[in-house]
Parts: sequence; structure tokens; C-alpha cells
Amino acid sequence: MATEQQSGEAISEPRRTGPYASVINWMEMLSETQFAYLLLAPALILLGVIAVYPLASTFSMSLFADRLTGTARLGEFVGLQNYIDLFTGARNFALPSAFLPTFSTEFPFVTDIYSSALMVTLIFTAFSVLFETLIGFGQALILDQDFRGRRWVRVAIIIPWAVPIVIQGMIFFLMFQPNIGFLVGTSENPALLNQLGFIGTTPLRDTADSLFLIIVADVWKTSAFMALLILAGMQSIDRSLYDVAKVAGASRWQQFKLITFPLILPTVLVAMLFRTIDAMRVYGIIETMAGCQTVPSLSCLVVTTFNTPLYGTSATVAFITAGIIAIVVSVYIVNFASEGV
Amino acid sequence: MSNENPGIGLGADDAEMKRGPLGRWVNTAIKNPDRAYRSMFYVAMVFFLVTTLFPFYWLLVLALTPNNLISNMGLLPKGFNLTVFIEMFQRVPFHWYMFNSFVLGITTTVLVLLIASLAGYVFGRLRFPGKGILMLGILAISYFPPAAFLIPLFELFTGNTAISIGSVTVSSPDLFNTPAPMVFPFSALFLPLSIFILTTFYGQIPDGLEDAARVEGTTRLGALFRVIVPLSAPGVATAGVLTFISVYNEFFFSFLMNNGEAGSWAPIVAGILKYQGQFDTPFNLMAAASIVGVLPVAILVIIAQERIVSGLTAGALKE
Repeated sequence: MATEQQSGEAISEPRRTGPYASVINWMEMLSETQFAYLLLAPALILLGVIAVYPLASTFSMSLFADRLTGTARLGEFVGLQNYIDLFTGARNFALPSAFLPTFSTEFPFVTDIYSSALMVTLIFTAFSVLFETLIGFGQALILDQDFRGRRWVRVAIIIPWAVPIVIQGMIFFLMFQPNIGFLVGTSENPALLNQLGFIGTTPLRDTADSLFLIIVADVWKTSAFMALLILAGMQSIDRSLYDVAKVAGASRWQQFKLITFPLILPTVLVAMLFRTIDAMRVYGIIETMAGCQTVPSLSCLVVTTFNTPLYGTSATVAFITAGIIAIVVSVYIVNFASEGV
Repeated sequence: MSNENPGIGLGADDAEMKRGPLGRWVNTAIKNPDRAYRSMFYVAMVFFLVTTLFPFYWLLVLALTPNNLISNMGLLPKGFNLTVFIEMFQRVPFHWYMFNSFVLGITTTVLVLLIASLAGYVFGRLRFPGKGILMLGILAISYFPPAAFLIPLFELFTGNTAISIGSVTVSSPDLFNTPAPMVFPFSALFLPLSIFILTTFYGQIPDGLEDAARVEGTTRLGALFRVIVPLSAPGVATAGVLTFISVYNEFFFSFLMNNGEAGSWAPIVAGILKYQGQFDTPFNLMAAASIVGVLPVAILVIIAQERIVSGLTAGALKE
């Protein structure tokens, strides 16, 4: 009965009329290009409304002055004045944290590094990406071996990657709270890390210490991502190369230096680029562990000025952040395009 | 400062004294390199296991210790207070925050899979002008920091954006404290990864199968959803799992696009942060809530680790 009905429907399908059938017919008549753009429409509309429009709108807001009174959110049109003020430091008095550090002619040429959003972000990015790459490399070398329980070791290494940022922040907040654990002591009873001079006794209130711990937290969470990418690179290497090397009498170290390393270098560079872009946006871990007043990253500065509210300044910082990332991305895309799509 | 110098001197002396045994060890290592590599391998493996898993153990130690005893903690809990896992739900409605997180995660995943399936089909199987540029564009957008979208999206979802068409001005609806201001940004943020994963999978289905379905009288969309999507089930699962985990882990919009109340669809971000009280800091409840919050993704990682590994590597390396 059911099958009969279905086959009956299938036969009558081409002759069916009504809005549904006419839409189907219309879609069948489209050329391949028209059909492609029709199917892409939802994705393009979503990205247009949620990403392209806000980006353009952020740029246009950044050309207007802040307005501290009244109902309107923006003041008069000031052109690039916001950008000039940020880069010359003329806006610093109004900001919760400066954008650039103070430059001087004496060594070490910059002061107030830790109160500068740009410097804090760059320091975070450089150190976290460097250590994630090194540790990810180590983890990938481990996972590349054959041993019993490899699956479970891999799970253990991946799990930090899947931990929500807020819980990651909470974990490290709880580990480095003064006086509750053995990692941070008091001034009378300093813990090992205090004695070695890595961190003070109230690390989450001090910018340099917090920045260090936030880098540690990020390395803990994200090394696994690097490890997986590097591991994929390692496993795509033709195994017969190693057989040839063994026959030729190459040691393990020589095999690593002459085969593994050069062949996975491109993968490592791509992975580092991904992490760089991601690290430049750092916000959540800072907000949960130490707060944006203690460690002012660029994203932090966008949010704090937005809450003040200094809409013009906030939009300017946001657009500069996007611009810095766009430069990094374009380096990658130019390389990608030159290799051929 | 004066303390450091003797320390360094001592280290140098130590190294001097250890050169003997170290030299012998190096000799055996050279004669029998595999043994040395093997021991290095185990040392490194144990090191990585301890560093990745210790923070979770620390959470357990803090959760099981009653809050008034938490100070100068060693490696073992001071007590075995299991009621903390009941107390945490009494103090903050954490189950509602988790429910909200699940709803946001599942809604976003369904939306992303639907949109990314259409886009992945187009990029994986059709030829048309502008394909390369569009793919690069979608890729580039996904790299921009969420902070660059914050102000306009906040205005849009709080009903402060007005669009004028001729003389008619339409104001955007106030959707703040509904799932929408989170679901749409999440979808846009995580759409590109799914598009690239599905493009790879859909592109691998032989043309013959799709042609056969078309000859049978299936429509173009029918062929996509009845032939290509089912055949690419592993790819769809990969994209789905990664999207869900990403949403569950997201911070920026989860934190800023609601007022932090469970009734306003705030996800676990707000739930976890709510334990910080005005008059006390219940470390044990914070630790317990963190454990409960991690469990769903930890289970997902254990079940779907193959999918996650292949998805992350394919998504990142294909692009």
C-alpha cells in the first residue's frame, strides 16, 4: 500500500503543479552558476550580516568622536583623528589602558610595556605560539610512536583543547590563588615558584605575573591543537623514506633532521600562523583569570572602552586589531594564492 | 639576589660531578641507541600526561575539600565532601546554564550543518566563476577577531540599528537576552570550518552516484540530501562535533551578549563566573562546577576522538 502510493507519487511528480513544484522546476532550470549562487546565498547572507556589515560599520564608527553625554552614541565626524590620537598617546588619559607603550630615547627605549594593550597582546602571542609549537612538537613525536595505550594518551593530550575557556580560566585561577595551594605561597612562607622568582605572592594582581600565567594556561590548552596538526604532517610523510635512510645507516636523529623536520616544516608554519591569528584575539582567559584591568589585551581594550562607553575609540581599537590580523592573514593568503588554488 | 649566586655555583659543581655517570650513560646510549630513545620516550610521555592531567586532579582535590579547610593544600584532598556536587546546584542554577549551553550548541550546530552543507556542495562539486575568490573571502572573514564585530552586533541585537528604505525606517528587533544574539554570531564564526570540512568530503563522492540519482528523477537538492550527505556521514559528524564543542567553549559572545542570568539564555560562562560571591569565595563550589562543566566535552572527546582529530587536521591543512 505504502509502496504503491510512493511509486504513484514518483510518476506524477513531473506533472505536479503548485508553488512547491514550480520552485523545484525553477531550480532545475537554473544554470550551474546560478544554482551555485542560490545555494551559497544562506552562507553569504549570514556572513554578510554577522561579519561584513559589522566590520564596515566598525570602520565607519571609528571615524567619529566619542560622545560622553546625550543619547546619541557618537559625536561629530573627525576623520582619522581617533587613529592619530591612539598612536600618539594623546588619548591615553581617557583609556583604561594605553594603546602603545611610552617611547623614550634611553635604553630600553620603551617603558610601561605592561600597560600597553598592543605590547601585552604581542608578548602573549609571541610566547604562547612559540611554546605551543615546541610542546606540540614534542607531543606529536610521542603520538607518532606505536605503543600500547596510544589511544588513551591521545585522549589525555586532546582533552585540554576541549575545555571551555571559562573553565580553563577557573582552573588556573584556582591553581594560582595565593595561599590555597602549594604553587603560590605567602611572603612568610613562599612556595617554590615564588622562591625561584617566577611569580610573586599575589600573581593574579600583578600584570607581568598574570601575563606569564595566562601564557602558561594558553599553552596548556592549545598545545594539543599544534600537536594534532604536526602529527598529521608527520603521518603524511612517505614511510619508505625512513626505510631508505635506515639502509643508508642514518641514525634516528639524522632521520629526524634530514627527513621529518624539512618535510613537516610547511605544516608547522601554517599551524603557527593559525595560532598567531587566534592568539591575537585573546580575551576570555584574561577576563576569567586576572581581569582586563590587570592584563589589558587589545580585545580587552575594545570591551572596556565599549563599556565606558567610548564608542568611537572602541571602534578604532577594534578596527586596528582587525587590521593587524588582516595583515597576518594576507601574508598567508598571498602565499596560498601563489601556490595555486 | 645574593641568594641566587651560590645556587648557580652549586649547579655548576653538580654538573661537574655528574659528568662521570653521564659520560657512562652516553656511552651505553651510543652503543644501544634504541634503549636510550625508549627511555626518553617514556619520560616525555609521563611528563606530558602529568602536565595535561594535573589541573583536572587539582579541581578534584579542591572540590572534595570542605571550603573552610582550603588553605595550604597539598596534593591530597583534606576530606571527602561529596555533597559539594549538590551544593553547587543550590547556590547557582548551574543545570539551567548547562541546559542553555546545550540548546545554544545544538541550535548552532543544526544551523551550521544546514548552511555549510549547501555551501560545501557548491564548493566541492560545482564549477562556477568566482569560486576561488569566494572561498578565500569566507576564509579571511573567519580570521577576524570577534572584537571587531562587537559594537555593531550589540547595536543590531539590542534594537538600536535602524535601516531606512526610502521614507520607511525599520528598527532591528530587540533580541537581547534571547538565544539569537549568540546563535547567529556563533554560526558565522564557526561556519567556515564546517564549510571546508564538508567541501572536502562532498568533493570525494564519485560523480556517477549523483548522476544515477538524477537519472532516477531526483531533484538537485534531493541528490544532495539523499545521496551525498548520507554518503558523507563521517564528514557531517566531524563538522557537527567540532561546531558543538566550539560553541560550548566560546567565551566572547557568550559573555557579552546576555545579562548573565540563567533565564536569559546565558550559557555556562556566566554560570561558572557566578560562584564568585560578594562576601565569600567558595573555591570548592567553583572547582565542582568546573568538573561538571567539563564532563560533557570530555565524554564527547573520548567518544569522538577520531572524528575530532581528522576534522581539525583536515579543516586546518586543506585551507
